[in-house]
Amino acid sequence: MNTIFFGLLTVLSLFIFMNLGKVKASKKQMDRDDRIKWGRNRRSNLGKNRRSSEIIEGEAKEVDEKSKD
Amino acid sequence: MSKHSALNTFGRSGNPAFSKNFDNTGSVPLTERMTLDGAVNKTAILLALCFGGAFIGWNIPALTIPCLIIGTILAFVTIFRSPSKAGATAPFYAAFEGVALGGITVFAEMQYPGIGIQAIGLTFGILASLLFCYKSGIIKPTENFRLMLFSATMGIFILYLVSFIMSFFGSGIGFIHSNGLFGIGFSLFVVGIAALNLVLDFDFIEEGAEQGLPKYMEWYGAFSLMVTLVWLYIEILRLLMKLRSR
Repeated sequence: MNTIFFGLLTVLSLFIFMNLGKVKASKKQMDRDDRIKWGRNRRSNLGKNRRSSEIIEGEAKEVDEKSKD
Repeated sequence: MSKHSALNTFGRSGNPAFSKNFDNTGSVPLTERMTLDGAVNKTAILLALCFGGAFIGWNIPALTIPCLIIGTILAFVTIFRSPSKAGATAPFYAAFEGVALGGITVFAEMQYPGIGIQAIGLTFGILASLLFCYKSGIIKPTENFRLMLFSATMGIFILYLVSFIMSFFGSGIGFIHSNGLFGIGFSLFVVGIAALNLVLDFDFIEEGAEQGLPKYMEWYGAFSLMVTLVWLYIEILRLLMKLRSR
C-alpha cells in the first residue's frame, strides 16, 4: 500500500511537472514591480546610478560679468 | 530609487549557480534562445540519468562514497566554470549523484523498509505543488525572499560544515542528528528551506526564458533544479529516518 501510494504520487507529480513546467507563469506572477532581477550586476547598476545622478553633461563655459549683461 | 539601494549598487551573489550570464541576451538568435520547454526537457533528461544512476547505486552500494565525492566536485565545477559548459558537466553530475543517492537509499531501506519510496514521493510531491503555487502566483519570490533564503541556506551549509569538521575530532553538533523534538524541528526547517529554493529555481528559469538567454542556460537551469532536488531528497530521507527511529 505504501509503495502504491507514494509510487502514484511520484508519477502524478512528474506528470504535473512535465506539463505545468512548460506553461508560462500567470500575469499575477510576471507583472510585478518587486520581481527578482536576476540580471542585476554591479556594472549595469553603477551605470544606472550615474544616469540618475545630478551631473549635467555638456561643455563648460566661462561666465564673466559682460556676458551676464 | 529602490529601497534596496545597496543591492542596486553592488548586486548580490545569491545562489552562485544563478548569478551569471543574464546580460548577454542582445545578440542571441531566436532559435538559440532558452525556452521553458527546453529547460523542462533537460530537467527530465537529468532526472532520467539520476534514476539510472540510482539503479546502479542500489545494486552496488560500495560506489556511494566515491560517486558522492565526484558528484560534489562536478557540481562545483558546473557552478564556478562558465555556464556555457553546463551541458557537458550537468548530465555527469546527475548520473554520479544518482549512484550516490541509490546507495544512500539502500542503507536507509535496510533500517526502515519502505522509506525510499516515501522520500521520493514526497520530494516530487513538493516539486509539483510548489510549481503550481509559483505558476499561479500564490508564492511570489521577491528580493527579500531571495535574501532570506540565501542567508538561511548559507547558515545551514556552515552548520553542516562545522559539524563535519568537528566529527574528525570525535565531537559534533548533536542536535542536528538527534531524533528528539529539536532534531526533528531542525530537519523540518531544513526541508522547508530546501523546498523554497525550488521557487527560486522556477523564477530563474522563467525569467531566463522570458529574457531569451542563450540555449545553454537551459542546462544551467535544469542543473540548479537538480541540485535543489537532490538536497531536498536527502533532507526528507533524514527527516523520515528520524521520525521512524522514535
